[in-house]
Parts: sequence; structure tokens; C-alpha cells
Amino acid sequence: MSAARAQILSRVHAALSPLPQRASLPAWDRELLGRRGTPQATDPWTLFAERMKAVNGLPCATVEELVALLEGPGWRHGYCDPVLWPGLRPAFPAGFVVETEFDRMRIDDYQFGITAATGAIAETGTLILSDGGSSRRLAALAPWVHVAVVRREDIFADLHAALAAMPVDPNVIWVTGPSKTADVEGILIEGVHGPGVQIALLAAT
Amino acid sequence: MITCLCDAFFDDLARATVEVLEHLGCTVSFPAGQACCGQPALNSGDWAACRRVVRHTAGVFSGEAPVIVPSASCVAMLRHGAGLAFEGEPDRPQVEQLALRTWELADFIVNGLGVRTWPGRCDATIAFHRSCHSRGTASGEAALALLGSIAGIQLRPFGEAEQCCGFGGTFAVSFPHISAGMGRLKLGQIQAVQPDMLVSGDMSCLMHMGGLAERAGRPVKTRHFAQVLRDALHQT
Amino acid sequence: MALQPIDQFAARLPAAQRESVRQATKGTHEKRTQLLLDRFADGDGLRRLAGQIKQHVIENLDTYLPQVEARLQANGARVHWAATGEEACAAVLGILKARGATKLVKAKTMVSEEIGLADYLERHGIESLETDLGEFIVQIDHDHPSHIVRPIIHKTRGEIARSFEREGLGAYDDDPQVITQRARRYLRKKYLEAGAGLTGANFVSIESGRLVVVTNEGNSRFCLAASKCHIALVGIEKLVPRDCDLALFLSLLARSATAQPLTVYTEFIAGPKSPAQPDGPEEMHVVFLDNGRTEVLASECRDILRCIRCGACLNVCPVYRQAGGHAYRSVYPGPVGAVLSPMLAGGRFPEFADLPKASSLCGACQEVCPVDIPIPDLLLRLRDRGKREGAALASAGTPPMGAWALLASRPALWRAALAAGKLIDHVPTRLLPVPALQAWSAERTLPAWRGGTFRAWWRRRGRRRPGNGAQVP
Repeated sequence: MSAARAQILSRVHAALSPLPQRASLPAWDRELLGRRGTPQATDPWTLFAERMKAVNGLPCATVEELVALLEGPGWRHGYCDPVLWPGLRPAFPAGFVVETEFDRMRIDDYQFGITAATGAIAETGTLILSDGGSSRRLAALAPWVHVAVVRREDIFADLHAALAAMPVDPNVIWVTGPSKTADVEGILIEGVHGPGVQIALLAAT
Repeated sequence: MITCLCDAFFDDLARATVEVLEHLGCTVSFPAGQACCGQPALNSGDWAACRRVVRHTAGVFSGEAPVIVPSASCVAMLRHGAGLAFEGEPDRPQVEQLALRTWELADFIVNGLGVRTWPGRCDATIAFHRSCHSRGTASGEAALALLGSIAGIQLRPFGEAEQCCGFGGTFAVSFPHISAGMGRLKLGQIQAVQPDMLVSGDMSCLMHMGGLAERAGRPVKTRHFAQVLRDALHQT
Repeated sequence: MALQPIDQFAARLPAAQRESVRQATKGTHEKRTQLLLDRFADGDGLRRLAGQIKQHVIENLDTYLPQVEARLQANGARVHWAATGEEACAAVLGILKARGATKLVKAKTMVSEEIGLADYLERHGIESLETDLGEFIVQIDHDHPSHIVRPIIHKTRGEIARSFEREGLGAYDDDPQVITQRARRYLRKKYLEAGAGLTGANFVSIESGRLVVVTNEGNSRFCLAASKCHIALVGIEKLVPRDCDLALFLSLLARSATAQPLTVYTEFIAGPKSPAQPDGPEEMHVVFLDNGRTEVLASECRDILRCIRCGACLNVCPVYRQAGGHAYRSVYPGPVGAVLSPMLAGGRFPEFADLPKASSLCGACQEVCPVDIPIPDLLLRLRDRGKREGAALASAGTPPMGAWALLASRPALWRAALAAGKLIDHVPTRLLPVPALQAWSAERTLPAWRGGTFRAWWRRRGRRRPGNGAQVP
């Protein structure tokens, strides 16, 4: 291994040393990524919700909305982060089976998974997940429906802001809508390996 | 600079270029030793042959006067392509000097002489094809501005305008099936808007598309914009 | 006359396949262009900026590679180096064996194609399964991807349905929804059984050591969440300076690749999982791959190392639309492949010396490239190299330029040729031993020969007009 390292680095050095000068790193301003056109709505949740819908995500402002969304198609068996469950439980009627432990031997039992998001990005309708914020990676990924609970104060305006505030976490995931593919003749199909339904629930204050 | 294609096939375009320039008050000279800009050799990878031709051309066109060419392709060769073949060559400055004086015709008229409108008349719907070598230059816009200013001309845009017509110089004969396939797609887009004529600033594209259309039994009238400008002068 | 293999391939390509490739690429290209126009005041300026940042990185790799290595190690990742594809395969195998893993799930990475990883692992008793739907289908068909972002752009749903039936994934059903659901169900089990997950990386931030992996399907998430070991295969050129630069690159990547503002999933992987997180890799390995990249770095074509593998150049290329990806006979097709494949081939350059010729040099690729690579110039340089090295494929079908240069630099010879050319108007083309003429006339008429006519006109005119010959002012 270290032989390869020495070989590669010496080849890199040999390749670059003849250059009379090296290309410099240009300074650039986030304004270059600024949005064309008129300024956006000022409430981050409102903008986030609009953008999330544009990528086929489902924003819910209240837990009652969430319950109605789950009940309709009959999604009544799922998982919820044990830290979040006490706050949500009162709104869930009888008939729901919600486990607070995720058993990876039974991943197909869970029709939905409710986990915490560490933030969101309004401009793109993106949810931010992380190891520190998610009780279980698989709970946010494997069930057909994923519900990410996000706080209004954790919603960033744009990519730049989100990157500037990246948490110190080994696994940060930006989620922009439900999983999809267009591999078969370019036809868009939602729900591949990740969730087919992506929901964001605004945390109650 | 009339270009090798005009020397061989398109004398009328060369004449039209002279007439257009003289109409604008220029005194035109034609150095008889000219032949080719060297692009075929550059594109073929024979850069030694390319340098030979470019050196001869630089010698033929030595001096101070602007060199006007009715071809964006040849101008791109002298302004950009030659730079590649002459990297590290001692006479690169001479080649660069020629490049600085070389103008595509429409660019010269509009941006060199400041003429933005053209007199006369031409009653025709025109599909204008921007050659790939005019990408990133002022030539395409300049030609469109002049054509659009002529009384009676209606410009008809067509789809997939960014797609190459398939000529590509020696590409047309080394990759004939692909070249023809590209040309047919292009002709399809052009013929869909039913223009009276297909006009361009590069005769090479017109030779390729015109030749394909004629062989297919659906000929299309092709004109270089310099010919349209010249003809408009004779129509009032 | 020797014929160009890519042209012959295009001639034999079934019309239906050519048309489906054309529709798919045209659609994505046009959407991409609209997206950039809608969103940014100066999309071209952003491309040039991204190009400058990437150029800076590749020209400073001697500083940056040790830096990113230190950062990754500080994050808890193990860093390996592979000078060749063989070494990279051996490194991956070594990691798997150390963990006693016999099953690997992999997300889509062109680098793994480049080094032939799947075949290598199979020979060494490792089951390596593609999880990206397109690559999964390529794998079960023992096929090769024909596009770097849309691997099965050349396949129909019927072909896929038949393959699924053959593999026991269900009775024939060509509904894309059914196909996708079947793949989802099949692969879920496989993720959970795997001993390791392998990904590539779209970018590696030198500042934070984060690997960025983008997908729409979520397969890379699953490869990592379900297994205990993460192996990342990364070309040495994939670095970007800072996390803030990712805002620019991520804004350009998905728009250029799939005509969407962002892919569904953008993962920032900075190390093995958090200790408190039950799911995810306990070990993370990054294998940095050379495999010819340092040779490219030393050449006059180093700019190609800026490439972020978006595929926008493939989508706009009129030659790609005629010939399809398999015509390029290599892992990387299209304009980027026409530069990269011959260069990464090292000593086998002559076998790929025709790829840089398969272009009309139209420049559309450069216009869409999110890192502003001057691809036509690089193609020209490779044509020069092909000629100098005497590669047969470089000259096939090309008229000889030595004779042309002689004619074009000797005015007397040129004028004689202009006169002699009249022959083509009088002798049938098939009887003229000029291959270029034959190739032209197979599909196109030739205009009448007018050699010498303008010059005669000019001379007559000169006799009528006094004082002619002064220069244009």
C-alpha cells in the first residue's frame, strides 16, 4: 500500500513540477448562485413546503394532517423515534401500531418510519438527516413512507447556508423528495430503494 | 481570402464577397498565391502539414490590411486552431499577427465597419444555419442582423439549432454514415419550417446539406449570406 | 479505403435504438438548458468558475492529496492507494477478506467498471451485486453500460422484462412500475445480507474530508445503512477545495446530468457511523485510484481531469446520438470518453486512437460542460498524438495531408490542381481512385467543379479596372 502511495505521489509531483505556474483558486461570492427574479416568501416553512411539493414531497403542518395522510392508504403499522413518540402519540387514533424499536429482521413490517430531521433547505424543499439526529438510519430509509420531523428554526434558506452550518456528523443526508428512477425508457417511477412517499412534519412549538 | 472551397466550387460566393466589400467602399485585393487555411491538416492530426500550409498562407497575406473571409470556419482555424499547431514554434508571432487581422465577413461588416442595416430587397423566408465554428464569435449574430434588416426577408427559426449539420471537414468522408445521419436530422428540422432558402455563413455546411438533400430527391435552395446581400443590392 | 469502426457501428445500429437514444438525450439536454436559464443569471459564468476551481485542484494535487488523506484519517477512515486497476481490485478484496465478507453490494461507480471489479471479485469467490437499477439490469444481462449516467439508455422495457423473467424475478411484465418494484423487493434482502457496501464519490472535500455521493434511487444509502463496512473507490482527481465550493458544484451537477435541481439524495460521508447510531458502517475505507490519471496529469490534456461525470456532453453530442455509447468500445463513451478512454489506455493508446476522430469538432460539448473543459482542443491534440505515433486507427479513412500540404503551399501546383479537377465533372466518381470522393458521393451530390473560374474573373476584371490591387483599408 505505501509503495503505491509513494509511486502515485511521486508521479503527481513529476507531472506538475514542469508547470511554470499553477492555476489559482478563484474567490467567489455566494451571490453568483443567487436566484433570478423576485424575492421569495419570508416564512421558511411556507417556502420549504412549496418547494417540497414541487419535488413530489408531502409537507404536513400538523400531526393531524399527517395522521390523515397515513390513514387514507391504510398505512397503520410503523416505527417512530422513541424521543418523538410521546409528543405525537395523542394524535394517533387506535388502529395504529407504532413501534419505538426498529427490528431489521422485519423491515417489511414497517409501512412508515418517523424520525427527526436535523434541518431542511427551503430553496430546494430538502430535508436534512444525520446520524446524530436519526434514531435509526434504516427507519428513515427502508419503509415505503418516511416522515421527517423538522423544526421551523432549523430551516436554512439555501444550499450555501446549509453547507456553512453542516453539523459535525459522519453521515449527513440531504433528502429532496421520494426516491425515484428513470432507468426504464426514461419513465419516472417513484419508490425504488428508498421511500416512495416522503413526508415532512413541522414540529409543534 | 476566398477559401479553398470557393476556389474549387463556389466562385460566385467569392465574387459576391468582393462585390459586397466594394459596395461598402473597400478596395479589395486578391493575393493569387493563396490556397487553404490549413484546417483539414489540423483536424487530421497532421500538424506538420498544417504548419506548412499556414506558413505559406501567412506569407501570402503578409502586410497590414485586414483579411476578410466568407467562412467562420477558416477564421476560427487562423484565430484558434493555428495556435495549437504552433505551440512552441519560433514563428508563432507571425501566425498570431495574421490572426489578429483576419475577419469573418459579417463580423467585419457589422463590427469592423459599423454597418448594421443592408439596403435593397429580398422577398424570401430564410432558415439561417449558424455553423459550429461561429460558436462563441460575433459572426452568427452579425449575419442575422444584416439579413434581418433587408426588406422582404422573413427569418424562420428551426428546432435543435445547436446540433451540428455533420460536415466537420474530413469528418464528412471519414465518418460518412454518421455525417449523413447528422445532416438528415438537420435537414428534417429545416425543411419542417419550409423556408424558401437555407442560408449560412459557411459554404461547407451548405455543400453538405445541399448535397444530401439533392441526392435524397428533396433539394433545398442554399445560399451564402454574402450572395443574399449581393442579390439584395440588385433588387429595389 | 479503410473504414472507421465507430462509423461502421453507427451504420449497423438498429434505427429504433438510435431513435430512443436520441429522444432520451435530446429531452434531458433541452431540460437542462432551460433549468440553467430559469435559475441563474449567468449559467455560463458558473461553468467557467467551476472549471477554474477544478483546474486549480488538479494543478495542485501534489499538495491536496496528502492533505485530504490526513483529513480522512482524522475522521476515522482508512486510506488506501492503488496505482493500477489491479491494485485497486486487490485492495477491495483485501478489505473484504479481512472482514470475512463474501457478499458485497455496490452503488453505481464508473471507476468500478474501469478496473473490472465485478469480474475480479467473482473470480475470487465474492458475490458482488449492483444495486442501481440500470446497473443491476446491465449485470444480469452481462452487458455494458452505454451512458455514464443512464446505463441502459439503449434497452427497451420488453428486453428488461424478458431478462427479469429469465432470472426468476417474475413472469414477463414490461410495466416499468412492476420492473422497479421487483428490483426493490429483490435487492432489499441483498442489502441486509451483505458484508460490505461499495460506493464511488462524486466529490471529496479537502477541507472536511467529506465524500459526497449523489443518487436518486437511495441505493447508496442502503448499501451503507445495512452493512458494517463501507468501501469508497475514488479517482485521485475527484477533490474539491472546500465545503462551500460544494454549493456551486451541487448546483451544477444534477442540472447538467439529469436536468433536476438536486438529486433525491445527496450524502455527505465523513467517516464510519456515529457510535450511538445502530445502523451503518463501523469501518470506512477510501481507495484512491490512479490507473493512468497521473499520465493524463502529465500530458497536455490534463484539463479532462476536471470532469465531474455528469454526462451532459453525451446528451448534446450529435455523434453520440448517431452511434450510441457502445460504439466507443470503452467504459467512458461520448465526448469525455473520446478523450479519457485513449488516455487511460496507456500503452494501448493505438487501440483507441480512432475515438478522438469520431467528432465533427462542433463544440457543443464544451458549451454544456459544467466545468468548461475545452474538449474539441483536447480531441485535436489527441489526433496529433495519434498521427505522430503512427496509430493505424488514427488515419483510417482520412485523406493524406502530406500531398494536400504540398499542393496548398505551391501556387503553381495549386493552380494546376484547380484545372485538373474538372475531371470529376466528366468521369463517374466510382472510376476515380480518390477514396474521399467515393465516401462523399455515396450519400451526397457534389457541386460542379469551378476551379480557376474566380481567378479568371479576377484577372479579366483587373485588366478593366485601373489601380486595382490596393489593400483593403
